Amino acid sequence: MTFLNPLILLGALGIGLPILAHLINRQQIRRTDWAAMQFLNRSVRVRSRQIRLRDILLLLLRCLALLLLVFALARPASNNEDRVRVLGEQRAGVIIAVDGSFSMTHSEDNATRFERAIEKVKIIAGEVTRGAPVSLVLLGGEHRIVLRNVAYDDERFAEVLADLRPAPQVMDFNSIPQSLEMLVQDMDAPQKEVYLVTDTQATDWGDVSVPTLDAMRSLAEQASFFLIPVTGNDDNLAVTGLDLVSGTLRNGAVARYRATVHNFGRKPALDVEVRCRVEGVQIDSKRITVISPGTSQTVSLFVPFYNAGPMRITAEISEDKLTADNVRHVVAVVRDTVAVLCIDGSGGAVSKLAMAGLLARAGDVSGAGIRSGGEEGYQVETVQWPSVPGKPFDAYDVVILADVPEITQQQSRDLLDFVRQGNGLIWFAGENVKASEWNRVSDNGGKALLPATLGAVVDASDDLGVGKPLAPTLPDHAICRPLRSLPEDLLTETRFLKRMQVELAAASVPVLSLAGTNAPLLLEHSVGRGQVCMFTTSAHTVWNNMALTPVFPMLLQQVVTYMVGREFEQPRIVGDSLSLFYVDQPDASDAVFDTPSKKTIAVPVSEHRNQFLAMLEKSEESGFYTARVSIQTPGMPVAVNVDTRESDVACLDQEELQKCLQGTGITVTDDDADLMADISVARTGRSYWRLFMIIALCLLIAESLFADRLQRRKQSCEDTRPSWTLKQENA
Amino acid sequence: MSDQETHASYLDPEVMQKSGNLELIAREVVEGLRVGSHRSQLRGFSTEFAHHRQYAPGDALRTLDWRVYGRTDRYYTKLYEAETNFDCYLLLDASASMSYASGKVSKLEYAKFLAASLAYLVLKQRDSVGISIFDSEVRAYQPPRSSMSVILQIEKLLRDIKPVPRTSLAKQLHDVALMMKRRSLVVVISDLLADVDDVLAGLEHLRFDGHNVVVFHTLDPYELEFPFQGAWCFEGLESEEPLTTQAERIREDYLVSLKEYLEAIRNGCLASQVDYTTVDTSRPLGDVLGEFFHKRQETFGGPSAGEHG
Repeated sequence: MTFLNPLILLGALGIGLPILAHLINRQQIRRTDWAAMQFLNRSVRVRSRQIRLRDILLLLLRCLALLLLVFALARPASNNEDRVRVLGEQRAGVIIAVDGSFSMTHSEDNATRFERAIEKVKIIAGEVTRGAPVSLVLLGGEHRIVLRNVAYDDERFAEVLADLRPAPQVMDFNSIPQSLEMLVQDMDAPQKEVYLVTDTQATDWGDVSVPTLDAMRSLAEQASFFLIPVTGNDDNLAVTGLDLVSGTLRNGAVARYRATVHNFGRKPALDVEVRCRVEGVQIDSKRITVISPGTSQTVSLFVPFYNAGPMRITAEISEDKLTADNVRHVVAVVRDTVAVLCIDGSGGAVSKLAMAGLLARAGDVSGAGIRSGGEEGYQVETVQWPSVPGKPFDAYDVVILADVPEITQQQSRDLLDFVRQGNGLIWFAGENVKASEWNRVSDNGGKALLPATLGAVVDASDDLGVGKPLAPTLPDHAICRPLRSLPEDLLTETRFLKRMQVELAAASVPVLSLAGTNAPLLLEHSVGRGQVCMFTTSAHTVWNNMALTPVFPMLLQQVVTYMVGREFEQPRIVGDSLSLFYVDQPDASDAVFDTPSKKTIAVPVSEHRNQFLAMLEKSEESGFYTARVSIQTPGMPVAVNVDTRESDVACLDQEELQKCLQGTGITVTDDDADLMADISVARTGRSYWRLFMIIALCLLIAESLFADRLQRRKQSCEDTRPSWTLKQENA
Repeated sequence: MSDQETHASYLDPEVMQKSGNLELIAREVVEGLRVGSHRSQLRGFSTEFAHHRQYAPGDALRTLDWRVYGRTDRYYTKLYEAETNFDCYLLLDASASMSYASGKVSKLEYAKFLAASLAYLVLKQRDSVGISIFDSEVRAYQPPRSSMSVILQIEKLLRDIKPVPRTSLAKQLHDVALMMKRRSLVVVISDLLADVDDVLAGLEHLRFDGHNVVVFHTLDPYELEFPFQGAWCFEGLESEEPLTTQAERIREDYLVSLKEYLEAIRNGCLASQVDYTTVDTSRPLGDVLGEFFHKRQETFGGPSAGEHG
């Protein structure tokens, strides 16, 4: 027999207390000479002996009751000891973990894997003794402990089970053993059992890491570990991406989005229709004739914008067994116009090219302070350096600094604040740029304005003197997407003769590089809520022929579109946090987030690094959340998508699982009858605390009644006054 | 403070014990008694009626028998035998059990004060007082005298005696009875802690010899109420086996035994026409004697059973 709380056994030392009290009492016997010994006669002496015997009996009862109470609290338990098996009650602490990732919503024969998992849990629960400790965990991105070490009550358990729903999350597979081990250690039971009900996805179970296997083995040593697979077929299509490829997010413009559909199954998918909706209205539809197993197909979806403001765009497929990943969401903030300020230090040549690039036509730029555009959704204003200083930037969305020799420290700080508020800054190198001055003013006390430290201008031309092209491998960056759709010969025609040497800052990201040397041509880094893009080359034709190719306008427009986009336009994954930033300190103390299922969550606004923001720590649904500064104000949508790593629903069969888990001590059981038989065989633990507690309580009651009887007798003796005494008092 | 209050405080057993002068104590007790007797008409012991004598000038008017005058129209005076020749024997139990004291005054000391007071009272009536002190045997015997030195003799006799356990009270009383030459007033002061039949046999012996017997059954308040709490070891003063017990739990049994014993003694005394009085040694002596004489007067000197405890 073992004790689950052995330290409590120290309480058995308390048995010394009544014995000590008894001994002290005995030591405190007072002596007196007595004349009337004839009245302490035989019957009194016999009675006195009886009293002594009763006292000893009372002492024994107290000691025994105390001892049994301590034993009961120490939670005695045995494991398969036949001698005492009859007396104890069969009791096992049960921890049930149910896979709640969205792969469990894959349906087959009109039942999802999750529904079948719940049926398995009911079978397990049917074998649990009422009052036995039970924990229930819903596994997901963060494992949710639904019940922690509670006494099993079938009705309550059934209610809890009925409320369980899978979440659109990816299961954090590697943390499962640690989470379950924590619950096992937290549980006091003579025997512990862990049941893991999951669809045993091949992506998780097919290649279990050594540390995870070790953790599972350790868990199986501490508890009987049953793995109950709820498998199904692997047919599944998922929309894995919906990205803006080209076009501008301006009112009246058309943008091209690219939807990617992946076939996770082992059979080819035929005639897959992809529908595009804007604000719930279908505006485009494409069909994919065939998607081979394990491959992706993309379709272009053209989205015209007829109004300004945030637009909820979805790409969706239908007729699939797993619905959670059939739709992809994205938000586009459509503007009426984008205000661009171009500060030109080259005397007008570069700004002219830039404006031409933005407006995709030759701009009428003839001097400083020229305002132009509007037709393409751009409001471009050009000023000649150095007349710029002191001019406020709040009226612009993007500022272009083209070949500006230098700026003052104050201007640097103003630009930094401008970007920090969510705006964009595009910097071009040039002949007139004074690198040392820029390096000096750009620092701003550790908060760099530019993403790199400037160096000398170097020649980038090749041996033939025609310059080097862009590196052919373009990164998967939003700025590069339109370039990736260009024919390769167009890209290679763009040649760079000069560039400025730079030393990248820690947080900056190279976007475009020069072929052969990987020297960065375009760098990006974030400052606050905005971005700074830095060209290490100029727009001037002396430095490259970019302005003469379609690359420049595409690149410039994409950069501007990228920069004016807000952080909430970036799609989130379920489980990510959602933030709402404020420009100024808000009046309301709480922001409001509406979930896709129309629930409203109030989130307090807090101050962080001189910025006010409200952060919903975790998104739990896929779809469009709406962030509002208060309950009355219009909201800003935020797209939240499922993580398609969970979309591969292929499962390991029992044989593969057993092979994978060999030596871990985990029992894999998928048949209901086998499961019950395995539970019966494994469950040998017996608990005796209740037995001890009942006996202890009975003894305490007996002792109490006995003591009470003696006390009453004593009381009646005290109440009996001799008749002569009463007479005297009356007199 | 009034005279009565002064006396009352002085007659407290513990105060008497501190005083030490037995004669003084006796005088104070008796005089205190007499202060109160103006109203209560106490006249000391009334013994056996002897005869009438024709009134002569100088006789106290209080001795006139008005009933005879009413019938015969003549003046006669009542004469009592005691008044002619009155012997009082004080039999004082000095056995070991009498040395018990729950407070500061033992039963023996209380008995000593009681004996001295009675002696003083008798001597003041110009009668004689004899003393006998006994335990397992008669330790001292003093024939009746009418001198106040008797009181001092009590002290002296008691001082010389080393208490020993008593075996039989009847034997001692029998021995004392043999020493008495004529019918007397015999006052037995004892805790009577012996076999009931033995005690009654002794008293009956005295009674059968024609003595007028008065018993002051002297008991300590603890013996009467047994107020002990907790664990006690009772060690017998007369060589009994000690008993260790939870006192409060055996109290009921003790009191039942005590009650039976006292009832038996009282009934036996009444049957033998012995004047019986239980005395609680915690009570002031004056009160005890006052109540005793009051009761005795009510019964005209006949046997009575009283409790002054």
